[in-house]
Amino acid sequence: MSEAHLYTLGIDIGSTACKAVALRDGKEISGSSVIQTGTGTSGPGRVYEDVFRAAGLSLGEVSRVVVTGYGRLTFDRADNQISELSCHARGVHFLVPGARTIIDIGGQDAKALKLSPAGTLTGFVMNDKCAAGTGRFLDVMARVLEVGVEDLAELSARSTERVSISNVCTVFAESEVISQLAAGKTREDIAAGIHMSVANRVAGLARRVGIVPEVVITGGVAQNAGVVRAMNEILETPIIPAPLPQLTGALGAALFAYDEAIKLK
Amino acid sequence: MSAYNEILDLLIDAAKHPLRQLQTFKARTGRMAVGCFPEYVPAELVYAAGMFPIGLWGGQTEISRAKEYVPAFCCSVLMSGLEYGLNGTYKDLDAVIFPSLCDTLKCLSQNFKVAVPAIKHIQFAHPQMRKIEAGVQFLESEYGRVLSALEELSGTKVSDEAIAEAITVFNANRGALRRFVGLSAAHTDVISPSARHAVIKSGYFMEKPAHTALVNELCDALEALPESKKGKRVLLTGIMADDEAMLRILADCGLAVAADDLAQETRQFRYDVPEEGGAPLCRLAKWWQIFEGCSLAYDPEKTRIGMILDEVEKYGVKGVVVCMMKFCDPEEYDYPLLKQALEDKGIPALYMEIDQNAEAQAQTRIQAFSEII
Repeated sequence: MSEAHLYTLGIDIGSTACKAVALRDGKEISGSSVIQTGTGTSGPGRVYEDVFRAAGLSLGEVSRVVVTGYGRLTFDRADNQISELSCHARGVHFLVPGARTIIDIGGQDAKALKLSPAGTLTGFVMNDKCAAGTGRFLDVMARVLEVGVEDLAELSARSTERVSISNVCTVFAESEVISQLAAGKTREDIAAGIHMSVANRVAGLARRVGIVPEVVITGGVAQNAGVVRAMNEILETPIIPAPLPQLTGALGAALFAYDEAIKLK
Repeated sequence: MSAYNEILDLLIDAAKHPLRQLQTFKARTGRMAVGCFPEYVPAELVYAAGMFPIGLWGGQTEISRAKEYVPAFCCSVLMSGLEYGLNGTYKDLDAVIFPSLCDTLKCLSQNFKVAVPAIKHIQFAHPQMRKIEAGVQFLESEYGRVLSALEELSGTKVSDEAIAEAITVFNANRGALRRFVGLSAAHTDVISPSARHAVIKSGYFMEKPAHTALVNELCDALEALPESKKGKRVLLTGIMADDEAMLRILADCGLAVAADDLAQETRQFRYDVPEEGGAPLCRLAKWWQIFEGCSLAYDPEKTRIGMILDEVEKYGVKGVVVCMMKFCDPEEYDYPLLKQALEDKGIPALYMEIDQNAEAQAQTRIQAFSEII
């Protein structure tokens, strides 16, 4: 470990997962961690310890820590907190410099972000008090279809005739899915319909903020190829899944921490 | 002269305790109290009739019985108003006055009449064609009906002189509040978003002359302080921003309210009732003719949008917070025009849904907005 390096940490405490990134000199990810439990659990503490281990760092080697995400206000081991909207914008811009529109689908919220050519956040739209179009919606539907949420995309890829899920409300959509199953529709076709339902809902947010290419999708749900496919189809523009989709918020926080550390130097 | 914070505390206290204010008035004077539902009611007539006009702008309460009467897509301000009627919170009111400015008011007020029969129900309609003479005449006759109902309640005739005096008293209050909002923009270090709101809101629960005196005293105290434009300056627009949690988050995120275009706040006192030009009732009616800048007052030119842009310029506003009353159609119809106008000028806007119960995401939205501007 050389003295010349400057390490910063970004911690993203979400509703259903905690993510952390250790950054070397504001340029290179030296370690990361994802813990699949969110704010209010042991997740924040565990992800914090785990990222040190992953990066091979000790406490004294980290210059600054910035926390973001839904649980940012209750995490006391950071030097500063910044909203996840600013952090996602920053993280995505670092990974995909041409990004102008970001669609972020997390565990309990969905957001569409507008970026300037220089990568700064200029506007955003968030979903309201409703799980439609979020990871939670997919969790509920996966349970009804008796598959793991990670298997939904593969299931929908085998669809031959997509079923339309017309209800936006998660609760009503769940009973709609049950009715479709009872009516003999295949799980594959229903899974495709579920992905389209999420995509439709989020596309509405994205259109409100205004679609400017390149369009990048991030957040845990970006790992679901079925949703990305459906988004491509609805928005009629290529949707680029962010590299490290679950880590863009934490990465952005680590980048902000780097800026702050340089300023304080 | 009292210190500004002492006066501020008095006004904040009044804003927090409408029921106590009402009960104290009645116990002290033995006179009646009349609730005025949003958004525009000629409270001057209540005052002229020797009664206490009290603004009814809903509140944070669990909705239980009101759902028997209205669907879920009813705005919180009227839904909670009906709930308060049903659960007895309004039992000390002798009458309520309802305007009929939107579809929800038209229906809900009739439900209120049936559901809360113990409180006298007075309703009137504003004219849609408010700019023509017939519109003024119509409103004058509607105000005449409101006045007759109040006279029936109090058992005494209200003179033209009493109405004229009420107009003068209320105009003085409007003037004091205009002075206050101007000064608060130049003293954002001591006038927080919550305090600014409370000073204006307290006027609905205090006797007007007393409120005017206190607001003017506060203004004198503010004038003696050095100016400060602390915080990122925002303008609030919408029906109301009566949400303590949201106002606190605004302050926590370093935002300062430099101006507002809220129906509960500046829209009430932007214009005076003409002091001359006809009988007092007619002058009251003319206020609605000269009034501009509200989604509820028919305006094919949508003057409101330009008025907001002017305020943004005048007060050096960096961003606009659209306080969208959930389920308010009139406000929602204006929003696309406002959004476009702000985008064209490169002014960031934040769309906040208001239902008088701050949402978990409010902190994130407001913080991100503050990080942008």
